[in-house]
Amino acid sequence: MTQTRAASKKGPFQAVVTRNVQIGTCFWRMDLRFEGQGARAFAPFRPGQFLQIDVADVALPPAEKIPPELRDGAARKVLLRRPFSFADVTPEGDVTMAELLYCVLGPATLRMTTLAEDDTVSIIGPLGNGYWVPENKRTALLVVGGMGVPPIRCLAKMLNADHPNLETFAFVGGRTVGALPLEGQLDGNAGELGFCVPAFTKYGIPSVLATDDGSAGAQGFVTEHVARWLDANTERSRDEMIVYACGPEPMLAAVAKLATERDIDCQVSMERRMACGIGLCQSCAIECRTEGSAETVYKLCCQDGPVFEGRQVIWNA
Amino acid sequence: MSDRIDISVDFAGLKLANPVLTASGTCGYADELGAFMDLDTLGGFVTKSITVKPRKGNPTPRIVETDAGMLNAIGLANVGLERFVAEKLPVLARMKPAIFVNVAGTTIDDYVAVTERLASEQAIAGFELNISCPNVKKGGISFGTDPVQVKEITEAVKGACGQKILIVKLTPAVTDISTTARAAVQGGADALSLINTFTAMVIDIETRRPVLANRTGGLSGPAIKPIAVYLVNKVYSEVAKEANIPLLGLGGIRSAADAIEFMLAGATAVSVGTASFIEPGCAGQIVCDLDAYCRRAGIEKLSDLVGALEAPAQ
Repeated sequence: MTQTRAASKKGPFQAVVTRNVQIGTCFWRMDLRFEGQGARAFAPFRPGQFLQIDVADVALPPAEKIPPELRDGAARKVLLRRPFSFADVTPEGDVTMAELLYCVLGPATLRMTTLAEDDTVSIIGPLGNGYWVPENKRTALLVVGGMGVPPIRCLAKMLNADHPNLETFAFVGGRTVGALPLEGQLDGNAGELGFCVPAFTKYGIPSVLATDDGSAGAQGFVTEHVARWLDANTERSRDEMIVYACGPEPMLAAVAKLATERDIDCQVSMERRMACGIGLCQSCAIECRTEGSAETVYKLCCQDGPVFEGRQVIWNA
Repeated sequence: MSDRIDISVDFAGLKLANPVLTASGTCGYADELGAFMDLDTLGGFVTKSITVKPRKGNPTPRIVETDAGMLNAIGLANVGLERFVAEKLPVLARMKPAIFVNVAGTTIDDYVAVTERLASEQAIAGFELNISCPNVKKGGISFGTDPVQVKEITEAVKGACGQKILIVKLTPAVTDISTTARAAVQGGADALSLINTFTAMVIDIETRRPVLANRTGGLSGPAIKPIAVYLVNKVYSEVAKEANIPLLGLGGIRSAADAIEFMLAGATAVSVGTASFIEPGCAGQIVCDLDAYCRRAGIEKLSDLVGALEAPAQ
């Protein structure tokens, strides 16, 4: 009997680490190279899809490199894969390159910091549905908070390449400037909206940055700036507008509320604890409205999402 | 030594191509795992627990990882009998492994209703009774912890399941699992599966609350394997061997070596559960590796290993 581990369409695939660097206080960027079947599987990666990475056997960093607040948690063994969404995917002939941004928060992400060039990691994916562009849209608003950056960056690239007639604007928010995984300088001068986030302006997307504490960009919640922009741009048809959001759940709830109140289509990328990420365990339940009934249903973040229509989701208080 | 290695097993009169099944609650209803492996290479498949009516399941968080394990409190979320018959049964009918439908409920009538409806379906080889559920008619005491209830529910379902194989899945939350094992055998069980998960808790010290919305959940994964192996061996030596009842062993299996441990302890077949979340092709890989093990070890018939654990010195 021969090996049954014929690679399935979704893996697991061995990806090669080509780079793994710290880009902020807790933010790191890992670049990966997929070859063979993995390259073919991830070449059509859609923004907002995700992957499951296995880091159970990766070493912890030495004790002195572990932030004090993570020391207790670091001791815990990792069993399950962890979900991430690529910030960038670039097919290059036979290989597919991918960029993964992560925030070091616990035992798994701590382990990821010790991966070095030429190490391999096991990855399952692409998983989930990704953002989609409905018919007849002319304006897209990207609303992103904190660690919501990766899928929205990926989306910005796709919209720029595949939907050149869609006018796109980005609203980037965070508690403080350090809470955003944005490499490079933020340009305080250029752009229609008064502030520039290079990650988006490189795609010709004007952007505004807002931090709760005013440490960079404008002060206030990003949703306030979205509302202000909508008030200043009433000539744009709401029917022809789509809002794409990714970030902490309270932010998503606020964006969904704003969009629903103004009758604008809105897609949000949800997160839930996942054991498998592939529709087997039923852990990642998202409570959703149903058509023509007061009853709610649980959908699965990994199968029916992670992108949901904002008006469908029942938001926790 | 002949080149023919036989990894098939006889499970309550049914020949399984090999002793590897997937565990209820970890493999969906039918061919969801088919995206990751050729399901037809497995000896058997056990569906998600089916209840008479659809169940939404618990609020989230439903799972939390622990060292070498995880807690789950999914809440028996399932599409219910009607949708199972309409949507999943036709898919199961096209699958090669022996199909066992896991049945759950809150009253004996619930279990009988599901079993009765499916008892004549060609696609199904048998049922696995999930008796770790609370019996609402007895104040919520789990069916599986009371030998009297175990016997009663087994008898009732056995009466409804016609020619199908009846497996009773034992909970470890008892003082002596041999007592409940015996009760199931007396009730007419054709086989026993053990063990189900252990009730456990994880507390978030910052919020000072349990992590799970349900507060507690069932612990599964490698952490429970040594306990499961012990309990399989206990039931085998105290009840099953003499009664000639096959055991389906599960609890933390993720390799052929794990499967062999369970078989030596007395399991005729094994189920792979949590491991599929991490390596979806795991069960299929174990089938391959069992074959390779037999070749290396010069074992012509894998089923010779069942219960072959050396007896304790007298």
